[in-house]
Amino acid sequence: MISVKDLGFVYQNSKTAALDGINIEIEDGDFVGITGTSGAGKTTFTFALNGIIPQKIKGDFYGAVTINGKDTAEHHAEEFARTVGEVFQDIDSQMVASVVEDEILFGLENFGVPHEEIEERVDRVLKELGIEDLRDREISSLSGGQKQKVAIASMLALEPEVIVLDEPTGELDPESSREIFRILTRLNREKGITVVIVEQKIMLLCEYVKHMMVLDKGHIAFYGTPRDMVSSIETFKELGINVPRVTELSAGLIREKIYDGEVTLTVDDAEKMVRRILG
Amino acid sequence: MNLLNYVPGDSFLHRLNPVTKLLAAFLYGIAAIICNNVFAEIGFIVLMILISATAGIAKRALFLTRNLMLLGLIMFVIQLFFVRTGDPLCVIGGFVLFTTGGLKSALLLSLRVIAAMLPLMLLFAITQMNDLCNALVKRVHLPYRYAFIVTTAFRFVPIFATEFHDIQDAQKARGVDFDTKNIFRKLQLIAPLCVPLLVSSLKKVDVSAMSAEMRGFELRGYKSGYKEYPFGARDLITVLVLIGLIVVTALFLK
Amino acid sequence: MIRFENVTFGYSEKRPILDDLTFHIEKGDFVALIGANGAGKSTISRLTNGLLHPTRGHVYLNGKDTLKTPSSALARDCGFLFQNPDRQICENTVKDEIAFSMKAQGWPTDEIEGRVDRIIKTFDLDPEWFPFSRSRGERQRIALASVLVCEPGLLILDEPTTGLDYLECIRIMDYVTRLNKEKGTTILMVSHDMELVQSYARNVLVLNHGKILGQGPTNEIMKNMDVLKKARVLPAQIPELALRFGDEFKDVFTVEEMLDALRAKAGKGGAL
Repeated sequence: MISVKDLGFVYQNSKTAALDGINIEIEDGDFVGITGTSGAGKTTFTFALNGIIPQKIKGDFYGAVTINGKDTAEHHAEEFARTVGEVFQDIDSQMVASVVEDEILFGLENFGVPHEEIEERVDRVLKELGIEDLRDREISSLSGGQKQKVAIASMLALEPEVIVLDEPTGELDPESSREIFRILTRLNREKGITVVIVEQKIMLLCEYVKHMMVLDKGHIAFYGTPRDMVSSIETFKELGINVPRVTELSAGLIREKIYDGEVTLTVDDAEKMVRRILG
Repeated sequence: MNLLNYVPGDSFLHRLNPVTKLLAAFLYGIAAIICNNVFAEIGFIVLMILISATAGIAKRALFLTRNLMLLGLIMFVIQLFFVRTGDPLCVIGGFVLFTTGGLKSALLLSLRVIAAMLPLMLLFAITQMNDLCNALVKRVHLPYRYAFIVTTAFRFVPIFATEFHDIQDAQKARGVDFDTKNIFRKLQLIAPLCVPLLVSSLKKVDVSAMSAEMRGFELRGYKSGYKEYPFGARDLITVLVLIGLIVVTALFLK
Repeated sequence: MIRFENVTFGYSEKRPILDDLTFHIEKGDFVALIGANGAGKSTISRLTNGLLHPTRGHVYLNGKDTLKTPSSALARDCGFLFQNPDRQICENTVKDEIAFSMKAQGWPTDEIEGRVDRIIKTFDLDPEWFPFSRSRGERQRIALASVLVCEPGLLILDEPTTGLDYLECIRIMDYVTRLNKEKGTTILMVSHDMELVQSYARNVLVLNHGKILGQGPTNEIMKNMDVLKKARVLPAQIPELALRFGDEFKDVFTVEEMLDALRAKAGKGGAL
């Protein structure tokens, strides 16, 4: 469990706080989607979840973040790295090897995973992400979606409790973006891995996450399940957050008392809603 | 064609220990440097191309030889006019342009450069950079930090190349004329290309360092590597043959 | 405005990226180029402004053959907004950055001043900002300003909203729409966000594996699920929803239209 109390952070050489007064508890097994305008503090927040802030990035740090009861300010970031794995936004730069297999081996070797265990782990994560055929490929020859899978696989090999991803689908087309979300959902359901993902594609968040968090100027402007959005649709618009068209539609229908069910998050849901209205 | 790309394969050369490959490339170079005979030097080059053929990289070897010839040519010209020993060979209006000694030593030096560089360049065609570094850490106990810097530098070359190409496209699309012949205008083009590249490289290097650190870079020792790089009979044979080559060269071709 | 005549482009003969394409885009149109990654969208946009040249066939921009015109000259007719603004930003202030394109194209100095000042106001920027430390959205706006300050007749947007939040996205798209309507600037937008395409584009060109799969008015394409599916793009939600009810919601494309239609039906049928 990650517990964030009164978290605030001001980057060195900056006058404004990137994060301010953040309070949140991320339970084991949760799937949290974070969205917000650029400069809202999303990336900074992900850095606070595994000790990169305050350990590796300079600035003024307020409040406390604890991972399984351990304070991130009091232990080396490496101690949390195996518990909370992070896939950074710049996918090319975070790779450390030129071949897929070596990329996955890197963390395993460094953290001293016994050598007799390594082979089995590499096989397993490659299989879990369906990229067995990429094992000997040069990373530079992979597509964006494949690179994301490799990055997730190399985190997964360390058997983390939490995976944090910063806009992994930013440069992917809709098909590959959805695939990443499907993979994460499977890991979340079957292995109980907690997933925290920063994402601009609100449609995907609505469809897959358990909780949604909207950041605005370093504050939490909304936190709740995707269905809770219905009461905050106006807030979302003011904050510049897009909501899926079908959600907007259902919110309108509910407001006008044409429909009395729940807010819809997918086209399938909306179809059922319209059929009910048509009788 | 990329000069330093790995060419996958399963030949005798490919299967050598990466440390042996590096050592062998150096030994071959030493032999070529000791050698003092123009014809033997040509023999070294031809032999290297033949050896490459056994690993399926003859095409690369020929391509590299052609490119190295350019370097050789520069050395040749410099040497030709600066070494003044032997009899005058080319005299224009009473001025000795170059001598027999100059010609011989120029020819020898340029061939030597090609023969000594060729195996080192070919090393990359049959060795993954990662393997080379891991083997050096594991077997020679090279500090991992240096190995990592070298592999990262190599890995970033194609990334920066793409980045540079994209930046050039972006500036061209704004109307910057990169084909200008005017030298002053050309100098003004440096900033629009280099500033974005510098800004993005700084960001990339930052992320790269953070990512490596978060994955336990600092905890790594020379025993950490999973892959073993054992030396085998073929490594011993290779080194012995090359030492033999050096001895023969030193005795008969000096 | 743009004319592709039997254009083939590729690095290898066997697997061309574009395969014998012929199409044209009228002056003043707003066209979206859609398709999955690797369908050839970016290649088309780069062929249009001469960054790439066709392997076979010809591309004409305003009647000029791109093979015979240097790309720096084509830049005067054709502004290009890239996905990543960081590839172009190279000056220390917003003012200099925006003036850079005009200087590169050789505009007279007195005209540069006035235009730069005006566009800085329209785009709500500060001339003295250090561009590198601004947010992604602001950097994209700076980049767009530096393209539009030259008032090109054609504007190409390559995935203009990648990495942008919704607010910045609307801001940029609204400005582009105004430009299209008021000044008649032709817009060619590469995108795989169908909601964006539906909201802004007039016509759509669907690409798949380097060939044109469909072409027509936006609303028509939005309801052609066969084509969208083949092109591996995610359809816009409301048209997809409407289509599931056959002819019932034939003219429904937006949330408002759907609301109106359901309001009418609920009123008549009296579901509630």
